[in-house]
Amino acid sequence: MKLDRWLLTGILGSQIISAASLAAEDADTIDALKRQIQDLDQKVRVLERKQELERETATEKAKSAPSVSLGANGFSVRSADSNFVFKVRGYIQGDGRFYADEEAANDTFLIRRARPIFEGTVYEKFDFRLMLDFASGINSSAVNNGILQDAYLNARFLPEFQVQIGKFKEPVGLERLQSGANLLFIERGYPTQLVPNRDVGVQLQGDLLAGLLRYEAGVFNGVADGGSGDVDASDDEKDLAGRLFARPFKNSDTDALRELGLGVAGTWGKQDGSGMLGKYKSPGQQQFFSYRSGAGTAAAPNVVADGDHWRISPQFYYYLGSFGLFGEYVISDQSVRRDAGTSSSAWVENTAWQVSASYVLTGEENSWKGFTPKRAFNPAEGGWGAWEIAARVGQLEVDDAAFPLFADPATSASAASSWGVGLNWYLNKSVKFNFDYEQTDFDGGTSGLLEEGEHVFLTRAQISF
Amino acid sequence: MKLNRHLSLASALLALILTVSPSPAQAKDITLLNVSYDPTRELYTEFNAAFARHWKEKTGDTVNINQSHGGSGKQARSVIDGLQADVVTLALAYDVEALHEKGRLIPKDWQRRLPDNSAPYTSTIVFLVRKGNPKGIKDWDDLVRPGVSIVTPNPKTSGGARWNYLAAWAYAKRKFNGDEVQIKDFIARLFKNVPVLDTGARGATTTFVQRGIGDVFISWENEAFLALKEYGADKFEIVAPSLSILAEPPVTWVDRVVKKRGTETLAKAYLEYLYTPEGQEIAGRHFYRPRLPEVAARYKDRFVDIPMVTIDEEFGGWSKAQPLHFGDGGVFDQVFKP
Repeated sequence: MKLDRWLLTGILGSQIISAASLAAEDADTIDALKRQIQDLDQKVRVLERKQELERETATEKAKSAPSVSLGANGFSVRSADSNFVFKVRGYIQGDGRFYADEEAANDTFLIRRARPIFEGTVYEKFDFRLMLDFASGINSSAVNNGILQDAYLNARFLPEFQVQIGKFKEPVGLERLQSGANLLFIERGYPTQLVPNRDVGVQLQGDLLAGLLRYEAGVFNGVADGGSGDVDASDDEKDLAGRLFARPFKNSDTDALRELGLGVAGTWGKQDGSGMLGKYKSPGQQQFFSYRSGAGTAAAPNVVADGDHWRISPQFYYYLGSFGLFGEYVISDQSVRRDAGTSSSAWVENTAWQVSASYVLTGEENSWKGFTPKRAFNPAEGGWGAWEIAARVGQLEVDDAAFPLFADPATSASAASSWGVGLNWYLNKSVKFNFDYEQTDFDGGTSGLLEEGEHVFLTRAQISF
Repeated sequence: MKLNRHLSLASALLALILTVSPSPAQAKDITLLNVSYDPTRELYTEFNAAFARHWKEKTGDTVNINQSHGGSGKQARSVIDGLQADVVTLALAYDVEALHEKGRLIPKDWQRRLPDNSAPYTSTIVFLVRKGNPKGIKDWDDLVRPGVSIVTPNPKTSGGARWNYLAAWAYAKRKFNGDEVQIKDFIARLFKNVPVLDTGARGATTTFVQRGIGDVFISWENEAFLALKEYGADKFEIVAPSLSILAEPPVTWVDRVVKKRGTETLAKAYLEYLYTPEGQEIAGRHFYRPRLPEVAARYKDRFVDIPMVTIDEEFGGWSKAQPLHFGDGGVFDQVFKP
């Protein structure tokens, strides 16, 4: 019995010892496994965090990378801080002119404007613009020319103080200052013909009173009414030009007045020579007035600019919802001289005015800088673009003092009075069709055009980007 | 000549335009940008609100203060590259000095324009460990043991990390009696235990606190206290090493920007407000050590009295320490092998 007990005790004891050692072994294993799991857990966490940091770094890098965009506003490249910007834009206008009168110019298609635009900013404050034009000349018979339209630098030292140098539009005519791509009618109205177009010079400009008042004042070579120039070939004198334009309610809560703009602009200078005299055209771009141009003899008198030339132009625009209205009045007062063996001089004061109204039928917000259709043309989805109707009246009067000594009353009219209506279809922000009818009556003159007047139907297809 | 008649007309029109152009409203909504380093988000959120109230009461003007935060060195570079900061409140004087050296945005004597070398509050470097301190970390020696995982940001981009590095260097310098070989080896072993280098202190806090990486976080003292406050004292604890470094985060207005923006008076007043009892109290509340004695006294019990070296006495100032240790090819580049 004792032996059995001892044997049993021995067996049990050995089993207990073996179980205890097994338990100790398991605990060690479990501890080791726990440590391994913890190590692996840390490794996984570290790897995940590294990935997270790499993603953050990539996002940061993306923020500092230049951005490239292509869209309705053209192609642009912009540095991450926006201090350097380069844009390529442009627009093309294909026009049709159809005259109702036999005596008028030929019906024609033409490329009215084909303008690539390169513009941008360097070092945050220095803007530049280069715009060329490869379109037909000023009328349907002129050959295509490459013309430098704009080439300037604008240093934006402060919003209130900027200096613009180069070739650009003189700050005078309201409609002249509107981009050719945003015109309400296919051709600008009469006031534009009495104000300078593009000229070379230096201009100070800026926005005052939190943008309520804009000023522009510059010194330019000087150009004829409606003309552009690249060099001052006629004299040493320079023209001064300036404009003040206020939007007094721009920042107010009164919706009805917010888009009211009022301004006055003018030029003064001394101009000499035949290149400094204007020639005036109808809405159909037919010339109805020019000064005498000959050899300077009694049989063929010649008229030239002869000293002071000043212009003044009050102007306004007003927009409310889909409705728009603008108008301007220009006086161009110029000293002229007739050379015909002997010389005689006179002051000739020509005037022009225009009032234009428009209404966007499809409900877009009308504005001086144009608008974007709410729904682009896409019939499958019910989009028909934006439709706008327009009407205008205008007149250009030549001073009686011009006749007969300085202008031939047979070939030049003393006044042109026009009215016109238009329909504009904006398929999208880039594509637009214009359809205008303009009717003009002339005072004076014996040519077929001047006696019969002008009845012209104008069309335009425009793409801008 | 009809000029006179028309000039009269023009004058009348001009008068009309100027008459109907109202003067702009006396709008005094002024915006200020404070470009700061990583851990000051909470401090300046409260301080900005207090200053805006103070300024409104004093002048009637409304001031909106925008904040930008990131690694101190990176923030300084952004300002030099054109970020329009009216004021900078960075982690160390070297980064502010760069605005003068590299950008000529502030004058050379910028540090003398405000009291206490333009550092309105101070801090130091401590260890944040997990509750119970499972790795038994008590001093810098414990960080270089094999198997200890350390979280600290990259000294190349983070001001806080540069203070961390220099505090470790100061400790090793004493331990090895200035033997540079052994000091470098100590620093190398320390960074060998760093698995992830964040670019800024806040990112490193995220790594340690939220992502659960590492056994110890070498941290700004204020950031360590913030972690305790935000995530619970039951999860972490602060260990004060036997030696640390006095961190003096400086502030200044950026002359070139404030002159251009017309915010010079406001920017100066903003920074001067940091030295007032109200500003110092806010700094204390956010675990920065206030300079003003009466405010510092109220927070005395919060902060451990750690022996500290200073950047000027120990390293000859930032102008020497920066290129030697953190410049391209400097000591850090030599010892850190990722």
